[in-house]
Amino acid sequence: MSPRSAFLTVGATAPFDALLSAVLADDALRALRDKGYTRLEVQCGKTQLPDLVQVSSAPWHTQRQGVDISLWDFKPSLSEDIKRADLVISHAGSGTIVDVLRLGKALIVVPNTALLHNHQEEVARALHERRHLISCSVPDVARAIRDLDTSSLIPFPAFDGSEFQTILDEEMGFI
Amino acid sequence: MAALAVVLGLVLLTITRAGYVYWIHRKSVRRVARPSSTSTCAVSVFLGSGGHTTEALQLVAGLDGSRYNIRAFIFSAGDSLSVQRASSLSGSATQLIEIPRARRVHQPLSTVPRTFFLSLFGTIRLVVPRAGQTPLGDILLMNGPGTCVVLCACVWIARFVGWPTPRMVYVESFARVTSLSLSGKILSPFVDRFIVQWPQLASRSRFAEHRGWLI
Repeated sequence: MSPRSAFLTVGATAPFDALLSAVLADDALRALRDKGYTRLEVQCGKTQLPDLVQVSSAPWHTQRQGVDISLWDFKPSLSEDIKRADLVISHAGSGTIVDVLRLGKALIVVPNTALLHNHQEEVARALHERRHLISCSVPDVARAIRDLDTSSLIPFPAFDGSEFQTILDEEMGFI
Repeated sequence: MAALAVVLGLVLLTITRAGYVYWIHRKSVRRVARPSSTSTCAVSVFLGSGGHTTEALQLVAGLDGSRYNIRAFIFSAGDSLSVQRASSLSGSATQLIEIPRARRVHQPLSTVPRTFFLSLFGTIRLVVPRAGQTPLGDILLMNGPGTCVVLCACVWIARFVGWPTPRMVYVESFARVTSLSLSGKILSPFVDRFIVQWPQLASRSRFAEHRGWLI
């Protein structure tokens, strides 16, 4: 199996300690390694863990459970990191979800239940039901990685601007 | 006595006019004249920051440029990120217009009426026609959050007065699957088209039209 890489993003706006701890836990890392993901890139945002050094924009490297891990806090755009990855594990921000799915990457999303009025959980669940991604809770991350079958995921449709143009055409009397 | 009669008369007139303008809106009597296939429409786009801005820019990026041109991007005070992101889609004639916020993040609801009216006064100039044109053009696209309610209110003031106004199209965010946003709930009876992207939302408002994923 050729080495594959995974990318974890916890988002830029709110800390998500639970997700970071869950993915860096031994069972999740072992699940990643067993699936062939021997590289893990982590955007950790404002999240800080007691057993990690204070992460700054300079990446910090470590190795655990046979996985090469690289951590950093923020970048203006994550698209290069998403493109490089074979699997993305992400908070359930709808912008990130659409970006990842449009780049055709396998995606596991973990809604941040600590956020109030979190309607983004709805998007995760609805897209999970349509098999565009896997949505799971924090304690289930390791199992979701272990059970991941990328061939069962349905590709997300490409952007098609024609329907919105049709709405405006109707409204303006073109059609 | 005479003063009271005048006031009462004015109030009655106002109510009648408002009711008539809204009746026309609901009846869609105000049909847009069919344009020639070569004419272009001016579009103004409200950029609501963050994910709202991302979706609004995506929507207009797919438009046929020979039929629709962007006359203005409208953004809330202090949202420099939206301006940066809009610049790549801006033509030389595209205006970037800043309007005061209706509500800051975490601002208590009790003080919203005051900031709402301040925002309204700062925005009303956008609907005053000069040489028959306004910066809002033929279509105003909105997708939330709060400050676009002010824009819609200004358009209604213009309709009340009888000035030319844009058709208002509101597109609820892709992130809204089972419940409408607050601005969506408020605006649904007052915009000309209220579009939702998930079928579950179509039954949430009698004004909602489900047109699939638009982003």
